[in-house]
Amino acid sequence: MNLLSKLKQSSYQITIISFVLAIILAIWKPHVLIEGIQRACLYAVIALPMALILGIVGIINLAHGDFMMLGAYFAYFLNVYTGMDPLVAIFPALLAFFLIGIASYRAIIKYVLGAPELNQLLLTFGLAMIMEQLANLLWTSRPIKLPLSYVSSSATIGSFTFGTFEFVYIGAAIIVLSGLLLFLKRTSTGQAALAVGQNPRGAKLVGIHVDRTYLLIFSLSIALVGAIGVIFMTRHSIFPLVGAPFTMKSFCLIAMAGIGNLVGILWCSLILGLAENFVLSFRGYAGWADILFFALIVLVIMVRSHQRQVK
Amino acid sequence: MRNLRYLLYIAILIILLTLPLYTGVYLLNVMDIILIYIALALSWDMLLRSGQISFGIAGLFGVGGYGAVLLHLNLGISPLFSILMGGVAAGALAWLVGMAVLQLRGMYFAIVTLALAEIFRVIIRNFPDLTGGPEGTVLPSAIFAGNSTKTYWLVLAVAVVSVMASEIFRRTRIHFALTSIRNDEIVARSSGIDVFKYLVFIFVITSAIQGMTGGAYAHIYGFVSPEGSFSVDFTLLPIAMALLGGMHSTWGPVVGGILLGVVSEFLKLQIPYGHLLVYGLIIVITILFFPQGILGTLGQKLKKTGNG
Repeated sequence: MNLLSKLKQSSYQITIISFVLAIILAIWKPHVLIEGIQRACLYAVIALPMALILGIVGIINLAHGDFMMLGAYFAYFLNVYTGMDPLVAIFPALLAFFLIGIASYRAIIKYVLGAPELNQLLLTFGLAMIMEQLANLLWTSRPIKLPLSYVSSSATIGSFTFGTFEFVYIGAAIIVLSGLLLFLKRTSTGQAALAVGQNPRGAKLVGIHVDRTYLLIFSLSIALVGAIGVIFMTRHSIFPLVGAPFTMKSFCLIAMAGIGNLVGILWCSLILGLAENFVLSFRGYAGWADILFFALIVLVIMVRSHQRQVK
Repeated sequence: MRNLRYLLYIAILIILLTLPLYTGVYLLNVMDIILIYIALALSWDMLLRSGQISFGIAGLFGVGGYGAVLLHLNLGISPLFSILMGGVAAGALAWLVGMAVLQLRGMYFAIVTLALAEIFRVIIRNFPDLTGGPEGTVLPSAIFAGNSTKTYWLVLAVAVVSVMASEIFRRTRIHFALTSIRNDEIVARSSGIDVFKYLVFIFVITSAIQGMTGGAYAHIYGFVSPEGSFSVDFTLLPIAMALLGGMHSTWGPVVGGILLGVVSEFLKLQIPYGHLLVYGLIIVITILFFPQGILGTLGQKLKKTGNG
């Protein structure tokens, strides 16, 4: 949970390695670098709220990606019925998903906080299934996409062209990460949340309202991931199962960075995003890109269990 | 009392064995599905008794199915033996995965298994020459040439194997080892239980049962495909059945399987594109209101009235 010390320890070495790799990539395959960074920031921004819930509320939310899927559909229907631009729809989505977060915490999550981890996993798994199947029932599994002209804008440097709209992901990742860090470090509510994450009983003893903190953090995270769904749907087609892989990729990033290490998530998502785009750039092997996160997660688990045994 | 119980088991078994004599083909098909889900639900629950949760039922089920079908087609192994080999394939895979990730348990294991179905789907799509790619592979003919009585006996055998495995695990020292690992790993470790070894062992056994069930399913329906064989149905339904019936027991998943198996036949007709929604709801409601399941809750009620 010690954010600052972890930041100092690990990011120094990782920065050097990633800079070297980035330079090699920039010369060899510039596409992979640009698109990989864009993809990485999308992963990071989705994983951050999940890390927040896991670090402070202590629940692994297997329905995380499905909240994002709901956010995407929310923006789609807002556009269809009111003509609102998806980038404007971020703000109503934040509000709507904050309320959804409050409702799901009050109605469901609250009751398994003290339950065994097994029950929590099963509960959020059931929740994910309900959301996916409800979306499937209401909107069918047909992929949909809004025809937005500005998302396919591109820029050209020398001989190579890349999409510029995707820089929105980088912006979102920077805003969300720095916003969360400021909130956790500089505000008393954020400090209280960190304290609750470290030791709920201790936090209660010094007069922090633990339940209210859980409610706030959970709803805030759901609001964020809902809003990210809105950004996501501008560029990608959406369907009921669109969020499920992101749940697993987010967990992969959290496991790599270590629970509670928010900045580490950004670095780890860079590794995942660049590696995926690297594989995608080889014709004939592109299908294997979806398997990378699994290889990474198994590797991380093996390294971590080895470290634990050595200790 | 004990003899009476065994007599009851034998009577039930005889009724089940002779069922094809007095029922039609449709009911036998429904029974096939119910028995397959019971085998899956039981094997899932057997792993749950060690405190580990697997969301990879569909993955191992599909691997068993593909293993059985491909071995039968390419090596000419007889269908029945290839079903067994499908179980061996799933067990071997589970051994690999278990050796790698069971050192870190709980949510790490759960998420890795959650990804299994998706990963296998990707792998199978990427070997189109061997597996038929996204379209899948069709067998020249279903097992026993589609004879519904013989297929029913096959599925019954699979279900009986899993019931017996579950009962053996409940009555031997494995049961105490797994229960103590679930309750407190440190205590289990300090009383000399090799936690890692037991967890890998039970994961391999339950996965082999799931693979075998998948092999039987693939041979009965005569085809495998990435979407069909790794369908989320095979993860979601068994979990809902085991939870509803009552976890950590043999008869809980069986009762849940019979109940939901019958219900699912109606649901499929009523809401063809959203019937899985109901199982999600069942999981959430069971966890929130009666985590012991139907049998567990009834048992507690009976005990209370018995004492009062």
